[in-house]
Amino acid sequence: MSILVNKETRVVCQGITGTQATFHIRRSLDYGTKVVSGVTPGKGGEMHLGLPVFNTVKEAVAETGANASVMYVPAPFVKSAVKEAVEAELDLAVCIADSVPLKDMLEIKSMLKGAKTRLIGPNTPGIITPGEARLGIFPENIHTPGKIGVVSRSSTLTYEAVLETTRAGEGQSTVIGLGDDMLIGMDFVEVLERFHADKNTKAIVLIGQLGGTFEEVAAAYYKGLKKKKPVIAFVAGNAIPFGHKMGYAGDVITRGHISTQDKKDAFAEAGVIVVDNINDIHLRLSEL
Amino acid sequence: MNIHEYQAKRILSQYGIKIPKGGVAYTPTEAKKVASRASSKGPWMLKAQIQSGARSTGYFLEKSAGHRGGIRLVKSRKEIVKQAEEMLGSTLVTVQTGPKGKPVSRLYVEAYTRVGQIFYAGVAVERVSAALTLLVAPIKDEEITNLAINHPEKILRVPLDLEGETTKEQVKEVMEFLKLPPRSAKSLERFINGLHRVFLDYDAQMIEINPVGVQRNGELVALDAKISFDDNALYRHGDISRLRDDYETSERELQAAKYKFNYSEFDGSIGCIVNGDGIALAAMDLLREKGVGTACFLNVKGGVDKDKIASGIKIIMTNPRVEGILINVLGGFLRCNLIADGIISAASEVGLNVPLVVRFEGTNKDEAKEILQKSKLPIIMAETMEEAVNLLVQAVEESD
Repeated sequence: MSILVNKETRVVCQGITGTQATFHIRRSLDYGTKVVSGVTPGKGGEMHLGLPVFNTVKEAVAETGANASVMYVPAPFVKSAVKEAVEAELDLAVCIADSVPLKDMLEIKSMLKGAKTRLIGPNTPGIITPGEARLGIFPENIHTPGKIGVVSRSSTLTYEAVLETTRAGEGQSTVIGLGDDMLIGMDFVEVLERFHADKNTKAIVLIGQLGGTFEEVAAAYYKGLKKKKPVIAFVAGNAIPFGHKMGYAGDVITRGHISTQDKKDAFAEAGVIVVDNINDIHLRLSEL
Repeated sequence: MNIHEYQAKRILSQYGIKIPKGGVAYTPTEAKKVASRASSKGPWMLKAQIQSGARSTGYFLEKSAGHRGGIRLVKSRKEIVKQAEEMLGSTLVTVQTGPKGKPVSRLYVEAYTRVGQIFYAGVAVERVSAALTLLVAPIKDEEITNLAINHPEKILRVPLDLEGETTKEQVKEVMEFLKLPPRSAKSLERFINGLHRVFLDYDAQMIEINPVGVQRNGELVALDAKISFDDNALYRHGDISRLRDDYETSERELQAAKYKFNYSEFDGSIGCIVNGDGIALAAMDLLREKGVGTACFLNVKGGVDKDKIASGIKIIMTNPRVEGILINVLGGFLRCNLIADGIISAASEVGLNVPLVVRFEGTNKDEAKEILQKSKLPIIMAETMEEAVNLLVQAVEESD
């Protein structure tokens, strides 16, 4: 078992004929992911990597039964790509691109309200259910099937968290990078909810970071859960001095919370196991 | 990207927001001329144009600039020239600039505007709910960030739509919250509409008017203005991109921006090269735990071209603060072997004079290690981030 993607997931790749898409879709296919088609406007009717290419997501869904998309389109085209995925009523869309304009993301978030499609990203390594499906850019060789759910707001720290599960002798049920950007699709709460509903996930590793209040919201949600699975959390950003230009200045005036310590405190208070050093995660996992 | 106060005010005034009469001046003579146009008998405000808040409570590094701050009330024409002479070419330090301060190359000269009540107004994005939000707060002596942290209930947050249509109800809500006089209603509506539309039309990331003043006739005036734009959307705003002021930016920051890398400088001694902000933060946290500070970090993101990566690495290698370099790459999109090639090419150009610890994981990791081993450069390899930090701290201590 796993969450969101598995070996039955039928994947369409938006922007399949690009260089990065070609590199990563080939690897996803080799990994066993059921990629069934691709979309590149203007290249409908062609074949790429042995897959049929369509002009629109709707056609790809009608012809190949795709229910999830991974998009490698550049930032300026993300808004229209997500719109297509939402209109085609896909279950899931994974957006790898970084640097998506803020206003486009505001419009995307408003588009997603009440929609069937869940968005992962942008600026994410994607989602991987080890041994079953890889949507994104994950280095597949570091993953093994197992029982630890991993969710991270930082792309690169997702890999770090996965390595920690390996050091503890564990594998992963599903690994999700939520994305590094100011605005993201799915958040911690939605993922925690699914990990708690997944029988195969016995514990969760969560990686937060400075900026926004995603961690505080997740902590409040977790605190309210009646049946809790163990969550081990690391939050990056302690060493950043207050007032440094890194991050979004609007965070302070919109919410007030600002420090990494606030996030850690919120987690600890909610019953989450908090580590100060990311390389301690495997120790806490071994103790479970 | 930030712009100067006078540039922000120009944009706001095009959207119907009232600003004091004034203009920009690069020389004391110009300042006098601009002042006469703004007001016949004064007084005037002389405002140092650097991209920083808290300019009025700042101080100048040079003794010749006098002991007053970066915002000065001036009552006579003679004084204008004297004060402008003091400020222009001097270096203003504020709580936001760091101890090095920023050079003042131009002044904004305005007619002094008499106002009664003042308040803070801003537009920003609340991230978790993805809501474009208008923020207003009555302010007296307290800074808005302190207010947000200590008394968040004193800030009114009004969600705005993405079409740029402020509603009458929203205007009324703000009126009541700020207890503005009824005669301010029209002016407030124009003001909020203006902020709302500027934010959307220009792909802003944040707008702050601190403070807004209420004149006797009820009119609202933007006494200061700060707009920061979304770097990711500058490609659709050529006119805004041209306002970029590189005068205040360090050479290394400019270099990094050229290659679209994230680059940040701090007060420590270790240079970090990473491929994600999160891993940079985690590495900095670990270094701090060992009692070592970070001098700078460079996030090369998915930068796939070896030459770009070499240029990025050179930025770190040539930072004089750097006493040791940590390269921590978890390859996904980015292939580790490209980083390895980049390291060698950068080292051959600028030399490797400080300890360098490399930790690779992920895509093409083994290939990358082999490349570095073959190069015979004195590079220390590590398996985990913690080990990398420990080895580097040790190597830097030994090289002292």
